[in-house]
Amino acid sequence: MQAVSAFLIPFLDIQLLGLVAAGTFAGIYIGAIPGLSVTMAVSILISFTFAWPVYPALALMIGIFMGGVYGGSRTAILLNIPGAPAAIATGLDGYPMAKKGEAGEAIGITTVMSFFGGCIGIIVLAVAAPMVSEFALKFQPRDYMLLAILGILLVGSLSSESLIKGIFAGAFGILIGTVGLDPLTIADRLTFGFSELRGGISFVAVMIGMFGISEALVQLHDVNKAAVRQQISRIVPSWSTITKYLPLSLRCSGIGVIIGALPGTGGDIAALMAYDHAKRTTRNPEVPFGEGAREGLVAPETANNAAVGGAFIPMMTLGIPGDAVTAIMIGALFIHGLNPGPMLMIDKPDMFWFIVGALTLANVFMLVFGLTGIRFFVKVVETPRSVLIPVIILLSIVGAYAVKSSLVDVYWMLGFGVLGYFMKLYGFQLGPVILGVILSRLLDDNWRRAIISDQESLPKLLKGIVTSPLSLVLFSAVLFILLAPLWRMVKARRAG
Amino acid sequence: MREGQTRRPGEALFVGFLALASLGLLVKAYGIAGLEALSSPGALPMAAAAVMLLSAILILRQTMRAPAIRTETIREHILPPAVVVAMVAITAYAFLLEPLGFLITSFLFLAVLIRVLSGRSLFFCIGSAAACVLLIYVVFRIVFSVLMPEGIVPEREILARLGRLFSGAR
Repeated sequence: MQAVSAFLIPFLDIQLLGLVAAGTFAGIYIGAIPGLSVTMAVSILISFTFAWPVYPALALMIGIFMGGVYGGSRTAILLNIPGAPAAIATGLDGYPMAKKGEAGEAIGITTVMSFFGGCIGIIVLAVAAPMVSEFALKFQPRDYMLLAILGILLVGSLSSESLIKGIFAGAFGILIGTVGLDPLTIADRLTFGFSELRGGISFVAVMIGMFGISEALVQLHDVNKAAVRQQISRIVPSWSTITKYLPLSLRCSGIGVIIGALPGTGGDIAALMAYDHAKRTTRNPEVPFGEGAREGLVAPETANNAAVGGAFIPMMTLGIPGDAVTAIMIGALFIHGLNPGPMLMIDKPDMFWFIVGALTLANVFMLVFGLTGIRFFVKVVETPRSVLIPVIILLSIVGAYAVKSSLVDVYWMLGFGVLGYFMKLYGFQLGPVILGVILSRLLDDNWRRAIISDQESLPKLLKGIVTSPLSLVLFSAVLFILLAPLWRMVKARRAG
Repeated sequence: MREGQTRRPGEALFVGFLALASLGLLVKAYGIAGLEALSSPGALPMAAAAVMLLSAILILRQTMRAPAIRTETIREHILPPAVVVAMVAITAYAFLLEPLGFLITSFLFLAVLIRVLSGRSLFFCIGSAAACVLLIYVVFRIVFSVLMPEGIVPEREILARLGRLFSGAR
């Protein structure tokens, strides 16, 4: 009964309902406008909502997350510019459809299938998370430590062209997270004698710098790129079209939820894998893939929205983010004094059910807003970048300042923004940095707990790992990620 | 953003800088507690810095071996004028924010940057900058209650007067 009433809170509270609606609406535009990303928006938003109560802050962020994942598809279809990485696969068949004058149909199919995928993701979250959290109570500190390392490595290996660059970025994030006074011994760590650093580096400043400023600077390379507008036809798809693609969307939702639930992976990878699945399993599509196949739209769009619900599973049950946005949301929960993990699910189940309710509501709003207002939408996304990018930079600066009314945070944000810009330019992914910052504390605490409980003995710790099935599975996964590229390299050399 | 196994202009320099910075951080992390214990406060920073240093060296090795992209230049592809102008404008904004205040600094920042990036008329730049600053101010100052530096504009007095005006009108 308590679960049902917590689930219904965002539906019955008019303020929360409005915030989810506003968030979803804004998210669709943020996700769609090239140069704006959901990660960027949520990280900037944290700084403005940190003084709010937790429910309204989460309602707005969840709306933006859900809307943003979907919104990226619109510009992929209409302009052939994916608004977000999760929409890259959507453009492969969406844009050819738009060129044939079928943009309306493409948007309609995308919207309905995104809604369907979103529903599946939320259902799996609601069913699986309580079970996972119960299981997670059995986790030892070493398991949390391994899980944190696994999450960072997964992001590094899957989102970057080079695993070694991903490892560097993850380690850099962990290092940033350790700056300040050590919570156990009160020893100064990497403060360089500056008292301002004793409280640590504000992760909001790091996030806004890395995702806001650096992205805006990269976008300045194409500041005068013009978009080609498409004609919009009928939007709402027919019932027969929906039922025809339901089996495929169900399979792709499964892919989306599983990929989304893996620590560190998100909608972009889920969408590409689902597209690949559709391509391999669809025999005789009406239109070939790459030329406007409906299956090529259905697969990535159901998968990336299903991944949203999936991403919340490790976040809520283990305190390990499913992707960059949930990493930022964990930060938001920390700011509000909550510690995501199995104990949060047990101590505050209403928080979990509120999130499930807000996700469901955001999914419904996504369907409504997705099928309406397309013409207005086209006008908004055509806002010149020369105006849009300075505004994003300004919002980033205001956001960094607003957290503590401190210029020091603005300087940190600038520093990380410039560093992030060069890292992006030279092929380093920034996701592992943020994941490292967020997971640093978890890793530090659990490493120290694990090694102290094994009397500071590394062999004992290793023995504990190999004798526990769960630890062994996690350890093997870490080893696999580290050794697989080496194996591939050796094989390639042998092949000549 | 980049091609496969190739080296962009300035890449080796940047990775070299990362390797040096990692070395410096490793030395600093060692200084926290040395090798006193595996659970010491310096253990994780040292491990992270060591991983950074090792991976930076490997990346540097890969980068040095990769062929350079001859068609790219620093001025055009790494630090184009628009990016340099934006970096300078952001730094100037950070320095002027407290003395001049949010409204004036933000307006100047947007007007100058929009003018430089779009090359459109002064009227357009001033108009869009003013409209954006007003919108941001209303949303963040009034809706989100974010306090920004007042600087030379007596915002609180103006808001109080406006408040009195509206309450008087009622």
